[in-house]
Amino acid sequence: MKTIPTLGDILQAQGVSRRGFMKYCAATASLLALPPAMVPRIANALEQARRPSVIWLSFQECTGCTESLTRSSSPTLEGLIFDSISLDYHHTLQAASGDAAEAARHAAMEENMGQYLVLVDGSIPMGNPGFSTIAGISNYDMLMETVEGAAAVVAIGSCAAFGGIPGANPNPTGAVSVQDLVKDKPVVNVPGCPPIPMVITAVLAQFLTFGQLPELDIHGRPMAFFGQTIHDRCYRRPFYEQGKFAETFDDEGARKGWCLFKLGCKGPITYNACATVKWNAGTSFPIESGHPCLGCSEPGFWDKGGFYAPLSTGKFDSGEKLAGAAVAGVALGAAAAVAGRRRQAKYTKEA
Amino acid sequence: MDLLDFARGPALQVAAYILVAGVLWRLVGIIMLKEKPEFSEPRKPGGFMAALKVIYTRSFTAAPFKRATLYPKMLAYVLHIGFFVVIFLFVPHIVFFEGFLGFDWPGLPNNLIYLSGVAAVVAGIALLVRRLTHPVLKLISNFDDYFSWFVTLLPIVTGLMMPVRMGVRYETLLAIHILSVAVLMIWLPFGKLGHTFLVFVTRGTTGMVFERRGAKT
Amino acid sequence: MNSQKPVRSAIPYSRGNVKPLLNEIIHALDRLLDDDEPTAIDLASLPFAPGELEELERALGHGELKAELDALGKSVIRETAYPGVWWLEHRNTAGEIVGRYIEITRTPEILMSQDADIGAGRARLRDSFDNSGPEFNKEAGK
Repeated sequence: MKTIPTLGDILQAQGVSRRGFMKYCAATASLLALPPAMVPRIANALEQARRPSVIWLSFQECTGCTESLTRSSSPTLEGLIFDSISLDYHHTLQAASGDAAEAARHAAMEENMGQYLVLVDGSIPMGNPGFSTIAGISNYDMLMETVEGAAAVVAIGSCAAFGGIPGANPNPTGAVSVQDLVKDKPVVNVPGCPPIPMVITAVLAQFLTFGQLPELDIHGRPMAFFGQTIHDRCYRRPFYEQGKFAETFDDEGARKGWCLFKLGCKGPITYNACATVKWNAGTSFPIESGHPCLGCSEPGFWDKGGFYAPLSTGKFDSGEKLAGAAVAGVALGAAAAVAGRRRQAKYTKEA
Repeated sequence: MDLLDFARGPALQVAAYILVAGVLWRLVGIIMLKEKPEFSEPRKPGGFMAALKVIYTRSFTAAPFKRATLYPKMLAYVLHIGFFVVIFLFVPHIVFFEGFLGFDWPGLPNNLIYLSGVAAVVAGIALLVRRLTHPVLKLISNFDDYFSWFVTLLPIVTGLMMPVRMGVRYETLLAIHILSVAVLMIWLPFGKLGHTFLVFVTRGTTGMVFERRGAKT
Repeated sequence: MNSQKPVRSAIPYSRGNVKPLLNEIIHALDRLLDDDEPTAIDLASLPFAPGELEELERALGHGELKAELDALGKSVIRETAYPGVWWLEHRNTAGEIVGRYIEITRTPEILMSQDADIGAGRARLRDSFDNSGPEFNKEAGK
């Protein structure tokens, strides 16, 4: 076992002052959605924290999640979280390739058996192992082998968490999510297309700070970020209540920043932190930029019946079956009337 | 497919088939019945105007019964108007109708919708209490009355729960709400809720018959 | 860092976050004066509408004191027009905001010299003192 330095050691070696560390802890508390009163506890824990080994596996994905993470504005993620974790394998970011990369993965697994975190982005194709391979290893085999000695698995992005776009109808590769395959390890889902970078970092920070995984919702997502809907935290919510809606993307309502419900906003059924954490260093989020929420952090978001179809529209087939039902109704009615007429005739005869 | 997808898709779809088929079945079945033979000379022709007149006059209680029926009548109006407002003037509902009608109309702010919904529920409960305590009414009530009451109130109650939430997830409540509407749609043609589409047919028929027989309408 | 300047909607809309926050601050000041209990409010956890944060900043105004900290990126710590109410903004080395807080306290903790830093500084000073020539010693008052 190699000796693992604590985060306190690392920061000291880098010449980070106590003030810098306090600032970092305050940002971490904010990141974890913990009250500022928790900062001393976080400082205490972080000083003792040892950098966990992280293995990042990329399967059927677009690298958008990695792009998102490397743009995280959290406590200088690149400088600190990445310093405080040991990212031992990430085939997009690491310099090594081929056998050397795979050797690094195996070395990290052996050295940190039972301790390391596995981060996965992308879905796993079950249709044919050849659909997606790394170094000749199928995604399924690599996942199962790597997860074996992991402390926990974090599914980054909607593809890893729920199957995402590869898993969308008609799902040509037979794509499945991490939680579909990994049953004997804790799995944390951080969905989104891509996920909010701060949320990815927060899960790592939580693990780093408290050595445990966050509290999860019914879809395995951290409650701190996925506990409330976009709609409930949306600054445009009052317009919804007042019945003021944008009808098109360029009408008066759109210019006045009214509610985007009629333009297909999935905010009411989407659990995510966009409305508070926001994107691009807190600049804005889609609704603030005038576009309805797509619901990208929800299972099956790609197949929810159209991004611009309002949430309350039913998902009806063509009118043909309904016309069929109408014809059937008329026929039944006619038959009933004929029967009724016969009965009527009998009674009137009797009368 | 999750519960909400099921509710928005197949459940609503099947309910719509049953609603359309059921309503046409009953309407055609009634309209195509043979008219009763007239055993006396018609006093007046009893045309369309006679039908319209009764459709209007029966909206109000005849003078001798005014006092006796004031309470339930008021409650019934609150229930009906509240229900109408909630269904047709809540913007997400309008968007739903626009989905297959292709046109929309202005809605009301949500607080007025909530108010109408609560008023309708309170009126509905008061009417049920009356039905359960009124000796005659209790005697003539059957399963149809109670079940029709239940499936009518259910969508309003589930709808009103959505802003309140009470610890239940929004998408679950929305699915339950839509499913409760599907139950209402399926039951509507067959029980006493058939008055939704029959009320003016029956009133009109009564008007024409009464006019021909020279009764006061 | 112009690229970091937030793009805000042309029409500011107040969701009504400012008034309750000001009220919270008044109560926090009560606690500070009566019970000596400081309060910190994390502004990142609130769903601000475009322009609302600026509205809050304007409402609190600027006070007598403003400090700049350079540790893992710049931070600004300044007292608002209301003594005891501090506005803190932390940025990372890329100049991006990583935290925004209102602290209701006499002096924000982060302004104080920290024991760990004092200790490290003392060691540094002692080190240069021991390793320097007589001139330094003279200047240092020996």
